[in-house]
Amino acid sequence: MMSKNTTTDKSVDVLVIGAGASGGAATAWLAESGFNVKCLEQGYWQDPSKYASASKDYEFEMLTNWAPDPNKRQRDEDYPINDTNSPVTPVMFNGVGGSTILWTAHTPRFHPSDFRVKTLDGVADDWPISYEELEEFYDLNDEVMGCSGINGDPANPPRSPRQMPPIPLGKDGRKLISGFEKLGWHWWPSDSYVNTQPYGEGRDACNFCGHNHMGCYQRAKSSTDLTYWPRALRGGATIETGARVRRITTDESGRATGADYIDSKGVDQHQNARAVIMAANGIGTPRLLLNSTSDEHPNGLANTSGLVGKNLMFHPFAMISGTFPEKMDTWQGPLGNIAMSQEFYETDKSRGFVRGYTYQFQRSLGPAWIANGGFRNAVPWGEGHHEELEKRLGSLMAIAVIGEDLPEEHNTVDLDPELTDSDGIPAPRLNYTLSKNSRDQLDHAIVNAKKVLEAAGASDIFVDPMMRQSGWHLMGTARMGDDPRSSVVDKWGQSHDVDNLFIVDGSIFVTGAAVNPTPTIQALALRTADYIVANRQDFKG
Amino acid sequence: MITNSAKTQIDEPLLTSMLDRLIPPVGDLPGAGQMGLIDEIVRLSGQQTRFQEIFETAVKTFYNKNQDFISQSESQQDEAIRQFESTNQDMFDSVLTISYIVYYKDERVHKRLGWSGKTPQPDGNKMEPWNESVLDKIRTRKPFWRQVD
Ligand SMILES: Cc1cc2nc3c(=O)[nH]c(=O)nc-3n(C[C@H](O)[C@H](O)[C@H](O)COP(=O)(O)OP(=O)(O)OC[C@H]3O[C@@H](n4cnc5c(N)ncnc54)[C@H](O)[C@@H]3O)c2cc1C
Ligand code: SF4
Repeated sequence: MMSKNTTTDKSVDVLVIGAGASGGAATAWLAESGFNVKCLEQGYWQDPSKYASASKDYEFEMLTNWAPDPNKRQRDEDYPINDTNSPVTPVMFNGVGGSTILWTAHTPRFHPSDFRVKTLDGVADDWPISYEELEEFYDLNDEVMGCSGINGDPANPPRSPRQMPPIPLGKDGRKLISGFEKLGWHWWPSDSYVNTQPYGEGRDACNFCGHNHMGCYQRAKSSTDLTYWPRALRGGATIETGARVRRITTDESGRATGADYIDSKGVDQHQNARAVIMAANGIGTPRLLLNSTSDEHPNGLANTSGLVGKNLMFHPFAMISGTFPEKMDTWQGPLGNIAMSQEFYETDKSRGFVRGYTYQFQRSLGPAWIANGGFRNAVPWGEGHHEELEKRLGSLMAIAVIGEDLPEEHNTVDLDPELTDSDGIPAPRLNYTLSKNSRDQLDHAIVNAKKVLEAAGASDIFVDPMMRQSGWHLMGTARMGDDPRSSVVDKWGQSHDVDNLFIVDGSIFVTGAAVNPTPTIQALALRTADYIVANRQDFKG
Repeated sequence: MITNSAKTQIDEPLLTSMLDRLIPPVGDLPGAGQMGLIDEIVRLSGQQTRFQEIFETAVKTFYNKNQDFISQSESQQDEAIRQFESTNQDMFDSVLTISYIVYYKDERVHKRLGWSGKTPQPDGNKMEPWNESVLDKIRTRKPFWRQVD
């Protein structure tokens, strides 16, 4: 039987749940603004010098102990996710830095039109905020995370100078670009939170090892354990690792009072707080809110609208790959930070679907990765194996499609009736089907990506029409809006039901746009923190 | 950790024959089975409990269904493997995955492929520097993002 300790005498101003991309940003801002902030994080600090990219077993580690799929990784700090009813497997990392430990750090922004999809295209809903309202927070986030890239992209509004020049394109990147240029289609070097020169605290330049998905040994890839967290701690914030939150607690009036959690020794604890910020990601946050039932909140916390856990959006991800006749050492350079194309980003109804997609260019890794498939089918075993492997090694490139998934209420995160984590807390269960609009987008993108690869000189083109292991962008499950009947939080991320509860992760997205979401998640987190600083000094003890 | 018990779970002659069919000889290299990779396969699979369990179950299941595998002809062996692949996909994948990983970790294979074989870090790789002239063409394109009031 676990003992129960109570830490009521140590009430904090703000309790943040989750130390990932959004939790790091919000904590740092609030701590630097004089709030007494504590963060509870179920995972632990990572030591970059121990990342698997320097291990002789790295190819095995990448698929097991460092796999982005928590169901495969199965560390103590991970929680299982029932994804049986989803063609997309969610991927994430649980620790200080959250999923930014494993991310690619490809960091485009939303377009202005992404905030106005109802007005422009008659679908989903407009956001209650505009691109312009978020712009200063995008800039601020770029500065803290450190952005490499270059201004002048004709597919995007002008923006402030990037902190560092772009990542070199490489011979392989230029090859792929030649296909876009032959067709007269847009491309632009990717904005990436990857250092191309030393930037930030003790962070070196990328040395092109290629393995972003196992953490960055060089500290060149920005993750919040290296960027926001040092600032947060200097600002006086505290973080407790190995602290798994069971539920957010409330008083008789329904206001949040803190959280019950299990500490790293397995002891039940309670932390009192005058306000709570959820930053546990688009799956972890609805899971916790649904686990936080009480007399005042019988359907879960902040759930009067019934929309907690609904409208789950991924970015449906197709991958089209081809092999080039020449050897280009495609393992040199970050895997997915070359360039992108937004030729088909904005709606053109003549295509038969609304909204659009981004192409993100991908290179490939070493022989074991290639043999096991990488972004495509595994190299066949038996006769012909060696010939096929040699054909792909050093010359395989791919184009990833990030399509805009529109919100649909039947795509959900709820609680599994049986599955639990190692502490017995009900685990999340997904129900997700791909909409016709999303499928049509992907099909359109596949046809055009084939054209690009062919124009660039590739052959043996292989299509994965929807990658299963591609649930890296988790959005929409506690959406933002002005109307409490059709949204969970207001435009500041504040719960409509509970005035001292905020959400800052991808759950609050109204729509998902067709770009990687994290700069937008972090900009929103900074904006919410800024709002609290300006308007909620009452949280200070 | 290599445990004796892990190794005794695995029928070595059978796995050797299977590896030879999965990754056949090439150039002056014998098939993967004859290269003596089993100790490394057992060690590596033991680095994660979940993986080790699937892998060991896979080898046992295959053995139970194909006790005469070693004495079969190559085409019969290929057929038995194909049968296993189609009926026990996850288990088969674990065998293939670890076989590929261990084979492509081997220095003899690196030499044949001309692959450096070094871990990605700490040395990383070299790339030619960023060259802005690649933007000459695309910079001539007018802005085309959708304006919003
Ligand atoms: C392989 C991979 C590649 C990616 N590539 C990109 C990319 O190129 N560009 C991009 O924009 N995005 C990318 N992403 C997505 C990006 O990492 C996420 O969008 C971002 O990290 C989400 O931030 P977050 O704060 O919402 O959640 P996270 O960063 O996931 O952090 C949530 C944190 O909450 C903690 N937590 C959850 N539940 C509890 C609980 N009950 N108690 C205590 N702690 C809890 C978790 O342990 C975790 O640390 C990628 C993700 C992955 C996995
Ligand atoms: S490619 Fe660069 S950013 Fe990516 S892990 Fe290697 S050093 Fe870090």
